[in-house]
Amino acid sequence: MSGDVAAFAMAQRPRLAAAALKDAGITALVALALFAPLVGLRTDVAPNGALFLRPRWAEVAILVLLAFALRLGLVYWQAMRGPPRLPSAARAAVAARAGRLFAPVLLGLAVLLPFIPGTGRYELDLGILVLTYVMLGWGLNIVVGLAGLLDLGYVAFYAVGAYSYALLAQHFGFSFWVCLPLAGIMAAFWGVLLGFPVLRLRGDYLAIVTLAFGEIIRVVLLNWVSLTGGPNGMTGIPRPSFFGLPFSMSGGEGTFAGFFGIEPDPIHRVVFLYYLILILALLTNWVTVRIRRQPLGRAWEAMREDEIACRALGINIVATKLTAFALGAMFGGFAGAFFATRQGFISPESFTFIESAIILAIVVLGGLGSQIGVAVAAIVMIGGFELFRDLEEWRMLVFGAAMVVIMVLRPRGLVGSRTPTVALGQRRVIAAEHVAEGRG
Amino acid sequence: MAYALQQLINGISLGMIYGLIAVGYTMVYGIIGMINFAHGDIFMVGAFVALIAIVMIVSGGLMEGPGALVLVLAIAMAFTSLYGWTVERVAYRPLRGSFRLAPLISAIGMSIVLQNFVQVSQGARVKPLEPQVTGGFEIMRDGDFAVQLSNMQILIVCTTLFVLAVFTWLVTRTSLGRAMRACEQDRRMAGLLGIDTDRTISLTFVIGGSLAAVAGTLYLLRYGVIDFYIGFLAGVKAFTAAVLGGIGSLPGAVLGGLLIGLIETFWSAYFSVQYKDVAAFSILALVLILMPTGLLGRQEVEKV
Amino acid sequence: MSATLAAAADPAARLGDPILEVDQLTMRFGGLLAVDAVSFAARRGEITALIGPNGAGKTTVFNCITGFYRPTGGALRLHRADGAAVELQRLKDHRIARAGVARTFQNIRLFPGMTALENLLVAQHGPLMAATGFGIGALLGLSGYAAAERAAIGRAAAWLRATGLIDRADDPAGALPYGAQRRLEIARAMCTGPALLCLDEPAAGLNPRESEELARLLRGIRDGSAVPGAGATSVLLIEHDMGIVMRISDHVVVLDHGKKIAEGPPAQVREDRHVIAAYLGEPEEEQA
Repeated sequence: MSGDVAAFAMAQRPRLAAAALKDAGITALVALALFAPLVGLRTDVAPNGALFLRPRWAEVAILVLLAFALRLGLVYWQAMRGPPRLPSAARAAVAARAGRLFAPVLLGLAVLLPFIPGTGRYELDLGILVLTYVMLGWGLNIVVGLAGLLDLGYVAFYAVGAYSYALLAQHFGFSFWVCLPLAGIMAAFWGVLLGFPVLRLRGDYLAIVTLAFGEIIRVVLLNWVSLTGGPNGMTGIPRPSFFGLPFSMSGGEGTFAGFFGIEPDPIHRVVFLYYLILILALLTNWVTVRIRRQPLGRAWEAMREDEIACRALGINIVATKLTAFALGAMFGGFAGAFFATRQGFISPESFTFIESAIILAIVVLGGLGSQIGVAVAAIVMIGGFELFRDLEEWRMLVFGAAMVVIMVLRPRGLVGSRTPTVALGQRRVIAAEHVAEGRG
Repeated sequence: MAYALQQLINGISLGMIYGLIAVGYTMVYGIIGMINFAHGDIFMVGAFVALIAIVMIVSGGLMEGPGALVLVLAIAMAFTSLYGWTVERVAYRPLRGSFRLAPLISAIGMSIVLQNFVQVSQGARVKPLEPQVTGGFEIMRDGDFAVQLSNMQILIVCTTLFVLAVFTWLVTRTSLGRAMRACEQDRRMAGLLGIDTDRTISLTFVIGGSLAAVAGTLYLLRYGVIDFYIGFLAGVKAFTAAVLGGIGSLPGAVLGGLLIGLIETFWSAYFSVQYKDVAAFSILALVLILMPTGLLGRQEVEKV
Repeated sequence: MSATLAAAADPAARLGDPILEVDQLTMRFGGLLAVDAVSFAARRGEITALIGPNGAGKTTVFNCITGFYRPTGGALRLHRADGAAVELQRLKDHRIARAGVARTFQNIRLFPGMTALENLLVAQHGPLMAATGFGIGALLGLSGYAAAERAAIGRAAAWLRATGLIDRADDPAGALPYGAQRRLEIARAMCTGPALLCLDEPAAGLNPRESEELARLLRGIRDGSAVPGAGATSVLLIEHDMGIVMRISDHVVVLDHGKKIAEGPPAQVREDRHVIAAYLGEPEEEQA
């Protein structure tokens, strides 16, 4: 089969070359027009405060050549690529089999990470960051992936959790273990509060209202200076203790190091935080996976597939939507509380729309409703983002471009298929084309 | 009274800018049913192209007066509409007909790309531009409070009305407009009837981009400072305006833009500047909860 | 439930008593009077067919009964097996389903990405949800839920067998052929354990053999013989296929332009002058 394709491509080569050159030429022209003003003429502020233009034609030339070469390569690649080798159902089955092996390996790696030689403070911090996003992705997956409700303001619940934790810990002196559930409950409460008015909204209307709610919460946090410290944020948030044993460098009697009789080391707290977020993330996963196999989870997925049919079957849509909002928000709140205790400092700057967008991107890139897909997407996106640290200001540019490219290549995300929750015979994965995405 | 009149003038001129951006959102939504998240950044690109053109033409001493402004506007529209076209071609067309969230994520990615592209190429610092259009009229005086109608505001209102008139003519009277409306109703059927739907969609993005360029130019001239980040908030508010007016409805977008502009201005004038965005968003939430299809939107009948 | 009225006497429901009373039902959309003071009754243990030409208001009546529209006027009374009457027009749609009215849709509305079996389990959401202790018990793996789920799967399997879909239980509903999707939708409605099953054009798009199977299935549902242990379920159906209507219905109600123009046993309706004029046209067409 692939031989035929190659032979066909050979025969077509002269025509292909002409077409490809023409295509790439047009692309280069477009690139020239795009880059000539914005790259070619840089506006700079002169010492007298006036603006002047600094020409940079060499850069434009490089970019245009790059566009030419990329387009040429793309045309050839598309022409050479044969038809997909496996139908999507079969591919989904292969992916599912690989996934069954992959998940335990990934989990093992995550558990053992602090003990793997060469893992230092930096790697652990990165691990904590990635796991925070894994948890946020799993939390949002309940709302977007399972229930099919498009939420663009998820970061609001992350913020509610973080601020609840900070306020409770500072004003009432509650310990982390008391504050954590309270922060989750607060976030869930806000999830219901914000979920209630938007119950009737669908699709993009829902998206824009949730985005607006996210922004409202951020603006309130920014301006309610007496409570939240406004743009300066809140500092001095208590750090977590190991069930009452603080991580202190003194190594005294009542500290973590003293109690276990080991040398005090700042890494202890990092390792502890790492396992804390790992456990929180796994809790999110455990709850989601279990609920999915139960009436509530099935009702979420059924609602995503067809809301009208759900109503005809006696499912209370209001309760079903609100539980999804509440549960998703609660896990966002847990993650927020963790974020606050880890940073020791929070400010509205950490809860901008771009965070919501990144979390949503993780869920969609991972594949709606797929737990392992979301985890992998979080590792790729956040880890990748970290890898490109040397690119500095180019980093976000690459990040955004990667989002576009991944979506264009895999519109259904890494894992678009769905595993049934129950089976009479063998459980077979359901190919992506049957699975609905929800209208909400 | 005089104070309120002044706010009305300010609100209308701000609302006109939102309206111009909102039309771009609503057109794209109408024709391919997606939120073009990058549209706010197209507006920002428009402002930057206009800035470069002004620095080149006016500060460079090539031309002056109204002619120069028309030229700047034309340059901004030409280059910005090319950005609109490219965004559609690169990030949305490959996803046509695929699952609904994919273009949304792709659009968010594109928005990040445009923002950071401008940040990298033009620098992160704000760009101050000395006022190009000055002067105005005092139309009323109440004690020592004078109601001002600046030439800039007149320019904004006149340009917007002119552009919208041309645009309305384009949509209602030309074959392109008919093709656009046909695609909006039923893209498959339009394709079967021989309308080049890809081309029509591309042109929608081109028109949306040029309207955003007008908005960007006016914004630059009015406020005199821009940076790579202005697209986000302006975009969110313009989208809010489009939804408020009833997404898919072109007069609705303009009406929504005016409302958002007025709400924001009056709220800042009488309550607090800090919470002006909260006011705009709260009104949006309220309107949608009470009338889920916006003010002028078509009522969607649920078929069972 | 406030809408439940205590029955005066005779708690045991008998076959032939009305199960659903449609009383002066009126539905107006703006200036359009879609249903104009229609009254009829569907009787327990019978198949009642609602027929009429396109635009006669059949689906509107259906949507009122199942709560997707709120009627402009009139009453819809469901008589439960214990003799109590429920005023359906006062209930929200999902409450109507819980009160014992299940429905299918003219253009099939399955959950395409879920398996046939999952579709039938979603239909048993109410009882299963109660067994979970509202999520908490089942989350912690308490045993009561496991038993309830086993029972639900058993019931689903029985209906899959009755509809000939047992071999496709683990296939996504969206991948089933059209006729199978129609049957699955009926099975799903039956899994809610309804007293009254409302079918909106169940034979549309079926070939003659599939229509025959459908007729057998519907008779089995009416008589309670489709699935061992299932009670008799009354059926109300909208249908264009006159062959199937005449063969299986016990009672036929004819609508035209939002008004009832005739009702009675199939043989009688078939001869009715008004019906022939309004709908059947030439008598030959009824066998189409």
